[in-house]
Parts: sequence; C-alpha cells; structure tokens
Amino acid sequence: MKNNRATALAPSEMIPRSLSLFYIGFLIVLPIVAITAEAFKGGLLNLFHQITLPEGLYALKLTFFLALFLALINIVTGTATAWVLVRYSFPFKTFMNALIDIPFAIPTVVTGIMLVLLYGPNSPIGSFFEKQGIEIIFNKPGIILALLFVTFPFAVRSVQPVLMEMEKDMEEAAQTLGASRTTIFFRVILPTLLPSILTGAALSFSRALGEFGSIVIVAGNIPFKTQVASVYIYGEIESANIQSALGTAVVLLFSSFVVLFFLNILQKWSHKHER
Amino acid sequence: MHEFKDAGEGGKMKKTILFIIAAGLLFQGCPQEHQENSAADSVTLTLGAYTVPKEVYQKEIIPSFQKMWEEKTGQAVKFEESYIASGAQSRAIVAGFEADIAALSLEQDVDRLQKEGLITHDWKNRKYNGFVTRSIVVIAYRSGNPKNIRGWEDLAREDVDVLYPSPKTSGGAMWDVNAVYGAGLRAGEAVTGKPDPDLAKQLLKSIQKRVKTMDKSGRASVTTFENGIGDALLTYENEALLRQKSGRDFPFLIPEATILIENPIALVDRNVDKHGNREVARAFIDFVLSREAQRHFARYGFRPVDEGISEEFAEEYPKPRLLFDISYLGGWEKVSKEIYGTDGIWTRIIRELADEK
Amino acid sequence: MSDEHRCVELTRSRHRIGQWLLLSFVLIWFFILILTPLIGIIKATFSQGIEAVKSSLATPASMHAFWLTLVITASAVVLNTLFGTILAVVLARQNFKGKLFLESLLDLPFAVSPIVAGFMFILLFGPRGWIGNWFSSLNIKIIYAFPGMLIATLFVTLPFVAREVLPVLREFGPEQEETASTLGASQWQTFWRVTLPSIKWGMAYGVTLTIARSIGEFGAVLVVSGSIINKTQTATLRIHDQFTDFNYAGAFSAALLLAAFSFFLLNIIQYIYKNKGSAST
Repeated sequence: MKNNRATALAPSEMIPRSLSLFYIGFLIVLPIVAITAEAFKGGLLNLFHQITLPEGLYALKLTFFLALFLALINIVTGTATAWVLVRYSFPFKTFMNALIDIPFAIPTVVTGIMLVLLYGPNSPIGSFFEKQGIEIIFNKPGIILALLFVTFPFAVRSVQPVLMEMEKDMEEAAQTLGASRTTIFFRVILPTLLPSILTGAALSFSRALGEFGSIVIVAGNIPFKTQVASVYIYGEIESANIQSALGTAVVLLFSSFVVLFFLNILQKWSHKHER
Repeated sequence: MHEFKDAGEGGKMKKTILFIIAAGLLFQGCPQEHQENSAADSVTLTLGAYTVPKEVYQKEIIPSFQKMWEEKTGQAVKFEESYIASGAQSRAIVAGFEADIAALSLEQDVDRLQKEGLITHDWKNRKYNGFVTRSIVVIAYRSGNPKNIRGWEDLAREDVDVLYPSPKTSGGAMWDVNAVYGAGLRAGEAVTGKPDPDLAKQLLKSIQKRVKTMDKSGRASVTTFENGIGDALLTYENEALLRQKSGRDFPFLIPEATILIENPIALVDRNVDKHGNREVARAFIDFVLSREAQRHFARYGFRPVDEGISEEFAEEYPKPRLLFDISYLGGWEKVSKEIYGTDGIWTRIIRELADEK
Repeated sequence: MSDEHRCVELTRSRHRIGQWLLLSFVLIWFFILILTPLIGIIKATFSQGIEAVKSSLATPASMHAFWLTLVITASAVVLNTLFGTILAVVLARQNFKGKLFLESLLDLPFAVSPIVAGFMFILLFGPRGWIGNWFSSLNIKIIYAFPGMLIATLFVTLPFVAREVLPVLREFGPEQEETASTLGASQWQTFWRVTLPSIKWGMAYGVTLTIARSIGEFGAVLVVSGSIINKTQTATLRIHDQFTDFNYAGAFSAALLLAAFSFFLLNIIQYIYKNKGSAST
C-alpha cells in the first residue's frame, strides 16, 4: 500500500533504518568482510586450491545435506508441537512449554556427552541398535540427533507466537460455511503459518550448519565419514592452515546466505499469496 | 482490542535489567582498580598454560612459589591463570593474551611466540633446553585386559577398537601418531638395521583403521574412553598416572618403542617488559626447574627433567628400551609437513582408508 | 440417530483419534528428544551426592563465572531486544532496496560456526586487528576481556528477537498503526501503545531465546576470552574446565544450574506477560 503522507526519507523512518543498518553492519557485515579479506590474502588461486581439498569438500557436502534433512524433520515436528501447545490442553502442558527452550540453556558440550552416554555403543539403547547394524553415536544418526536437540526450540518457537495471535474468525467463518477440518487446515491455517514455518526451517538450517560443541563429541570426526564443516574448520585453524579454514568458512557462509535469501523470497511470496 | 495499560510493564522490566547491567559493569571495574593501587607489596604474574598440568600448578607449584617469593622478598605474587589447549593458548598469546609465562605442550607452540616477536631471547639456551617436564606415550586398556593388549601390533587387530584424539585439532595428539610411526620405524630398524618408512606407514594405517572416533583433545579422548568407548587408548603417561592418582582403575602399558614427550616453558619478553615483572617471571622459571618443583611434577605423573629427581623416581618411571624423541623423526618442522601436511603420510592414510571403504 | 448425525459423530470421533495421535506423537518426540537427556543430566549431577554438588558450585571461581554469565546475558538481552525490535519494525514496515538482502543477513550468525565467530572478532578487535589496533593504543582491552565477550555474545544472539517479532508484525499489517496515526497519535505513541502490545508474545519468545542462548554460549566466547580463571570465565567455560579436570559432578551440576536458571527466568517472563498482558485471542 503506497504511503501518501511522507516520502521514504522521513526522519521517523530514517533513524530506525540507519540504526538497524549500523547494528547489522557493525556486528555482522564487518566481521564477515574481515574474514573474507583474510581468506583472500594468499591470492585467489591459492584460496581455490585450499577450498577444494577433498576433506573440506566432503565436510561441506555432509554438513549441507544433514542440515537440510534436519530442517525438513523440524518443519513437521516443530509445527506439530507448536500446534499441540497452543490448541490443546493436557496435564503438564505449562511444564512442557517451559522446557522447550532447555536445549539452548544447556552448554553444547554437555549435550554431546549426555548423548554419548544415552545412545553410545555401551548404552542399552545404543547397543540394541548396534546389534541391528545401526550405529547411532559416532555416525550420522548421532549427528542428526544432536542437531535435532539444539534446533528444537527454533522449530517450535517460530510457529508458536503466530499461532497464538491467529484470529480464529477466519477459521470459524470457514467452518460455518461447511468446510471440513482438513480444508480449513490446508487453505486457511497452513498458508498463514507457512512464513513462520519457513522461518523456523531457516533458523534450524543455519544453526545446523554452524553447530560445533555437541557434534565434535558425538560425531567421531572421521574425515570422509562424519567430519562436518565446523569440525573441519576447527581442525584447520588448530593446525595453522588459516587459509583453508577461512576459505571453507567463507564458502559455508555465502552458501548459507544464498539458501536463506531464497527462503526469504519464498516466504515473501507465500505471504503475498495468503492475503 | 489492545489494552493500552500494559505498556508500563515493559518499561519496568527494562529498567530492572538496565540496573543489573549497570551494577555488573561497576563490579567489573572494581578488581582492576585494586591491582593498580597496591603495586608495591604485590605483583601479578600471568600464566598461559596447556590443560594437562593444571592440577600440579594450582595445587603445588604456584602456592610453593608464592610462599618462597614472599619469604624471600616480602612481596605477594598474585597469579592469573589460563589453561586451554596448547595450540589455542599459543595463538591466544600471539593474538594479545598478555601471558608473562608460557607453559605449553609442544616446542613449536613456543617457537611460534618467538617467530612472532613475543619472545626475544634464546629460550632454548637454558638448562634442559627450555623444557620443564617430560612424559611418554603409553597404551591404556580395560581392567583385566580382556583383549590381551601387549603392544603396538595388537592395536591393528580386527577385534580391537582404538582411541586417540585428532592430530588436526590437538597438537598434543600428534605425539600419539608420532609414537606409532616411530615405533614402526624402530621395528624396521630391528630387522634391517635401518628405519623402514614403509613398515611404519603400514603400522600407522592399520591402527588408524581401528579408530572409530577422534576426539577434539587428549582429555576429551580420556573422557570418551572412561565412558566405555574403545578397547585401547593412546595417551600420555602423565594423563594415565593422574587418573590412577585420583583412584580410578586405569591400567596402561609402556611399549618398548615409544616417543619422549618434552614440554617447554618460557618467559614472554614483550608482556614481561610491559608489566614490569621480569624479576618475578625469571624467578618463576628458575623455580619450576628447581628440585622442589621437579619433585612436585614427578609426584603428579610427569617425568622430571632434573637428573637428580629423575634418579629419585627411576622406579616409577622406567625407561623404554627403544625410546626415541622428535629428532628421530626429523624434528617438528619436518614432521608437520611430511606426516600431517596436505600431502603428508597421515593425511594420505586417511584418504586411502576412505577410498577403500 | 439420523444419517447426518451419525456422519457428524463419525467425523468428530475420527477427528478425536487424529487429535490423540498428534498429541501422542508430539509427547513421545518431546520425551525422547528433550526429557531423556535432561533426566540424564539430573542423574549425572547427583550421582556423587549433594555434597559434591555444593562444594563444586560454591568455589569463588564458579561464583564469579555465574556472575559473569548473568551480566553478559542481561547486557545482550537489552541491546539485542532494543536493536532487534527496531530492525523488525524496519523490515516489516518499510520498503527499500536491499531489504531482502538485509533480512537474509539477519540469520547468518547461526550459520557461523562459533570457532569462526570467535576468530572473526579476534581478527577485528585483537591488538593487531582492524579496529583493535586503535583501541589498544588507548590501552582499552577488548578481547581477552569483558567487551570482547559481550560482542561475541551479541553476535550469536542477534537474530532472536528480530526473528520472533518480524512474523508477528507481518501477520498483523500496518492497519492498526495507520489508524492510530490518522487519529492523531505521534510516532512514538503509536509504537508504544499499538505496535508494542501486538508483538508482546513474539518479543517475549525472542527474549527467552536470547537469554537461553546467551547462557549456553561456549565456542565463540572461549576463543575470545582466553578462559582466564576468575576473570573471563563464563559459566559454560567453567563447565568445560570441570570436564577437562574430570570433575563430572561439578560440570553436570553447573550445567543443571544454568538450565534451571534459564527455566525459572523464562517462566517468570511468561508469567508476567500472561498476567499483565491482554488476552488477545
């Protein structure tokens, strides 16, 4: 809707905008520019060579696929959980609601150790699965488990506030008109929720890309098997290969930016369509 | 409809939080002031160390030194300590952490400080070449030794799971891999009289194949081992002894061929000159090399560098018959490139193992 | 019973079963994913008895660590709520070139591995860094000191409030604000009395997440702080220290304390908002 009263350069708009730009510029853009510049220090060719080391490439691939898979799982479980918390009532609901954010408050290193104790090859659950030939800890399922734990709050809390504020009028109107519950869900509720669901997916995805503390304990960190990008980058920094570390980090950053950008476009489109 | 009354609550919350921050920031300011004021009768020494010797420094070395120095000069020494991984600590000092003393795990971590100009004296030109403690790589196994581990070759067996940290993330972990490689060289030497690199590579590869997880650091791998993972753990003797000292059942064997670990300590000129505490710092370095301190180290599982104390503890620290040190492998620079470099032996082993799957 | 009635009854009971299934699924998921590890941590904490817990938590180093975490968290919450809300309003209500770009930048802090984040700030604010150079000439310490730790924490928690408030603002549209403006309310009044109450829940969740995340932050702060005991060790760094000392009871108990602290804080916030806020749905 076009604004008739003032142009975009009104001070009331300019001040918040400049503040926002400054904050993001200082805290996000500047550091990223710094490491990108540092990564390019050795020259473009050298950087390319460093980035395409087989271990690094594998780590990037693995990280992306795991993060994507995780985001998809979270879309389902996060929305379901938010729905249940907002629309249903059951005993201990408040208790459960309060615990949703626990994964954030628990240091990742503790998460990692706890998962190894619970699902490792020496635990009852772990050894059961091992007999079936499934390795949880020190293999990919363990990584997914750790990621699910640390990203759970994102999946739920992105959808929850929107669900809470959602006007029931539209639903009730549709119901009076005789629409079935499924129709209402898919044509009224879901489109309204879609932007926030996508937000949750984007947050889970990004977080999964960068997660380190818990994964370094549960994953086993074997190159070409379970070594994710963050652990690889850490290893390169520790062995003083700054170029390859930063190069891989920059690739990770830019590709996740692209994915996030794409997700935001998707969100904008879905939002437009809903009105 | 929105109520207009609740706008006040948000403001109240914000005010409370602002108050907490203000209080916190004020609080932060206080300790700093204290230091400046009582400069005459107290001095601060900052120690940047690696994780392993934390206990012996905190419980014995530092208190003893404080007592000694106070008796000698009447001055109280306040210590600021940081114990993180050796490589990380070295880089932190380069990046600006103002440690007066660097007590690290690897010689090359102190060399880095020298290369970056933080150490301007010849730190190796000292008694014991700049080292303060020693240790060796050992093999820890489960109580009762169910898998009957007797030496390096057993670690290559199909039914044995081996544990050691990643040499990439843990500089100290390089000791473990170096030990295996060197043992392989020694084995070749026993047969042909000359070290055999092919045999060494084969041994390393067959053992690496048995590794299911590589932890971030030496300590982390001990934790993983104690959580029941793996049949054999490559670790340093002082780690194993420390566990035994705290009452844990931690059996280990000393292989016939293994590597001598030497840990350096050095005064960081740039920081010492900035803080004006060179005298105390020098005294501390002298102290850790003294008989008293060396005895403390020996009691905490470290092999002393002092010959007299070494003899005193000869029984606790038997010397492996085929012991070698980093020079047997060509020195740290050569090893960093030829074993762990982009085309290094260990790097190639990892790639080969991945392809073979 | 008429056919129609029976049909409605059937749909209703099918719907009921559907509800039960969904509820069970979510409860089982929650139990496996969240409760089991939490119970595990509680058990591990008290495995050596309550005396061990008390003695490890009561040391001066531990108390300092908790205090430091508290101060950093409070500061991060205020700053990020302030700027995060401004950012969300700008993104939701204004239109300008590069807006989508800005929004995508918002989530980047999550994608950055904490080690890299710490490294970035050392690069920028270290004594040899781009900005740090200037500060060090003024003898102001940023990294290996409080300011650096705050900046690192601000970075990792930056997106939360904005990300939670933004969808709510978008869902609501500017109509009510425009109405208020037409009725003569000033910019500030409109924001304070119309916008703010509507984003209440989003903000509350954002603050909640910021608190929890800031308390749990480890990697970036480790790199940027140097982990100097009694000086720059936060609670999480202290916990890590305990693990490396093999003091498992100490580590788990500190972790549990952190989690419990977050838990109560979050509940208090929710309680305040629930009681003082409007029941808008």
